[in-house]
Amino acid sequence: MSVTVSPSEVAERFAGLVGATRHTADFGTAKVYVTPAQWVEAHRTLQPHLPFFSWLGAVDWSNERAVGEPPEEPVSERYEVLSRLAAVTSGAAVILSTDVPKDNPHLPTLIGVYGGANWHERETAEMFGIVFDGHPNTNHLYLPDGFEGHPLRKTFPLLSRDVKPWPGLVDVEGMPGETNTEAGDQETEA
Amino acid sequence: MTDRRLAAIHASDVQVSVELETPEMTLNLGPQHPSTHGVLRLVAKVDGEVIQSVEPVIGYMHRGYEKLAEVRTYPQITALVNRIDWVSGFANEIPFMVAVERLMGVEPPPRAQYIRLILTEMARISSHLVFLSSYPLELGAATPLMHALRERERVLDLIEGVTGGRFHPNFNRIGGVKPAAGAGSTQKKVSQDLPAGFLADTRKAMDACDSICDDMVDLVLGNEIFVERTRGVGIIPSARALDFGVSGPNLRGSGVHFDLRKTDDYLPYASFEFDIPTGSNGDCFDRYFVRMEEIRQAARIVRQAIDGLPGGDLQAKVPRIIKVPKGEIYVRAENPKGEMGYYVVSEGGRGPYRLKIRSASFSNVSVLPWLLEGQLVPDIIAILGSLDFVLGDVDR
Repeated sequence: MSVTVSPSEVAERFAGLVGATRHTADFGTAKVYVTPAQWVEAHRTLQPHLPFFSWLGAVDWSNERAVGEPPEEPVSERYEVLSRLAAVTSGAAVILSTDVPKDNPHLPTLIGVYGGANWHERETAEMFGIVFDGHPNTNHLYLPDGFEGHPLRKTFPLLSRDVKPWPGLVDVEGMPGETNTEAGDQETEA
Repeated sequence: MTDRRLAAIHASDVQVSVELETPEMTLNLGPQHPSTHGVLRLVAKVDGEVIQSVEPVIGYMHRGYEKLAEVRTYPQITALVNRIDWVSGFANEIPFMVAVERLMGVEPPPRAQYIRLILTEMARISSHLVFLSSYPLELGAATPLMHALRERERVLDLIEGVTGGRFHPNFNRIGGVKPAAGAGSTQKKVSQDLPAGFLADTRKAMDACDSICDDMVDLVLGNEIFVERTRGVGIIPSARALDFGVSGPNLRGSGVHFDLRKTDDYLPYASFEFDIPTGSNGDCFDRYFVRMEEIRQAARIVRQAIDGLPGGDLQAKVPRIIKVPKGEIYVRAENPKGEMGYYVVSEGGRGPYRLKIRSASFSNVSVLPWLLEGQLVPDIIAILGSLDFVLGDVDR
């Protein structure tokens, strides 16, 4: 059954099907960029070809960061919502990506197209504060009831780190986003 | 109207009202119930013995790995990902390592890839043996547990011999696998990287795994009670499975002939001969059968890998401080529980900007509300157990 397909061909084909303007296939990961208005319709178009709903998630592109390293060059502020769809007759698979503005993060739900989107959207909603319009269940999935804030936003601090420095700091390399010991700054090639 | 007729009307009224007033009851299962393999809670609304609706409550074991990964370096994340699905810790490391290596443009040496493959398949065997033994126990049969866990211990001992850890090997390094103590990263003496006698012992253990499967056929699949409790119970049609992202043996139990080891190239599976067992009904029995056959196929792969194990280095050359170039990649792997994948976003630093973890059990469990609706209360345990999930893999 070994059917290997080229990611760039996959990206090009599915971008054509959904009418996307941009597609990439860097590092073997086919990615198709659609607008929020195209989001549901794009999934509906691809569903017969890619019936396997793998996952849905988001990336917080942010210049203000409470965790990790500060940006080397500014990124454009947005939430990028991603969903991964796959075929089961070949290795064809694609990630659909759309950008949601930070001041009003709304996106229509995919539950009508893929039932599996339910939990993934609930997770993304509580972790990033993105509202999925039409979602039947807005209760927290992982977080306790009454939890405030959206932990996977870059502005959300990792409090345990603030209270107690990471003990690994004494090691040979520094942690992302922390000023380093002299050992960590020396980047030697092995 | 005669008194007799009035009495008859009265009697029928009573009957009707009794039928209408069956109270809906809420049945709470978990979070600490032995069949949930951890801390899963099910809130079921039942009408007598029939389940009206089920709401799984998860998150009791949410450890926030995706956030933690943003403040860890790539080599440190290996220790985190080990603990997602702890029944097959080694297999969790592979897709993460491959994702980082591909972003860096590093290719591990063939010997390291083969050792990864052998240990991944052994992790699969040990994970499936837990299922083969614990699932009958949940249905009331205690003998298979003792029987299969003995062989699983043997496999774990072998994994421990190579990696130093039974559950959390933390054995992969970016660009290869951890060399034996004192051997250095460019060691040439191939006899020193695997413990003495490992290959011979593994071969024996694989034969033992085959024979335990034979025993299980008689002990479990031939058991009338087991068959009655699992045949036709908890059927997931293939279209529904795909829709919910159900993957791995659960998907193949529903008759979908799909295995990432055949379609993706994260490890050199293309040079091995093995079959993809599938079920036909998508019921609990098929899911049990598929896992049993997968043990045989995994043993077959391990034997071939031992025969063809190449010599050479265990580690490609990588910088002492790992910095990963800018890029985004998703790598998925066929883990014992299903599709496990990592979406890594790198901005060029020592740790990922974002790490999205796709764990198999999360999607496998998300089908439960649909699957349990209309089933009988005693079948909850049979269906839950057959999905073979691990709460660490659901909650991450």
